[in-house]
Amino acid sequence: MEKKYKRDFDELNSIYEATNRFLEEEKIGESVAWSINLAIEELFTNMVKYNTGAGHPILIRMSIKDGRLQIQMIDEDVDPFDPSEVPEIKLDEPIDERQIGGLGLHLVKSIVDKITYEYKNRQMKVTMIKELKR
Amino acid sequence: MFEVRQTGDDRVLLVGKLDASQVQAARDVLGQLKKSCIVDFGELEYISSAGLGVLLGAQKRLGEAGASLKLVNMNRHIREIFRMAGFDHIFEIE
Repeated sequence: MEKKYKRDFDELNSIYEATNRFLEEEKIGESVAWSINLAIEELFTNMVKYNTGAGHPILIRMSIKDGRLQIQMIDEDVDPFDPSEVPEIKLDEPIDERQIGGLGLHLVKSIVDKITYEYKNRQMKVTMIKELKR
Repeated sequence: MFEVRQTGDDRVLLVGKLDASQVQAARDVLGQLKKSCIVDFGELEYISSAGLGVLLGAQKRLGEAGASLKLVNMNRHIREIFRMAGFDHIFEIE
């Protein structure tokens, strides 16, 4: 599955539909599908929110090979983003000190088994791997 | 699709998918609560960090007035997301 989406939160429903269709065809269970929708939403909304200078669509590509689900999200003509600079959230912080920043990335890292970022020629490519236990 | 329904004086029902595209609709209701309230997740299929942020904001604001939100009827996926986010320490969840 491969498709480009406008940089607009209103694209989320189309993304869920395409993701769910692909995962259903691949006979992936509902629990995995739920969490993959969340991981994709978190990265997509980050790209829309923080790469504001770019007008290009965001490409989402999904494939399964050797029991691994691979999701690539590619954003063109954007500034670099270093996820290691995002502070780890502290889950046991009292409510007054809890901030929402970084939570989306924390959830993504909790859901997938591996996430890598590549940046070259102003293109950001994020690859997520989820091991499928069938 | 997402909707917030006021189902009682101190109870609201969340319906559908609370994602980044629906934050304002959630904030319009949860951001206006003035007293302790039960938030019924019984018809909520999905929530992401955007929705969690709205709930956190409401809980912080109510907390300053000595009030709080109680969250009920979560599906297992949403409960797991609350656990991953550490929000199970912040909210009373039933």
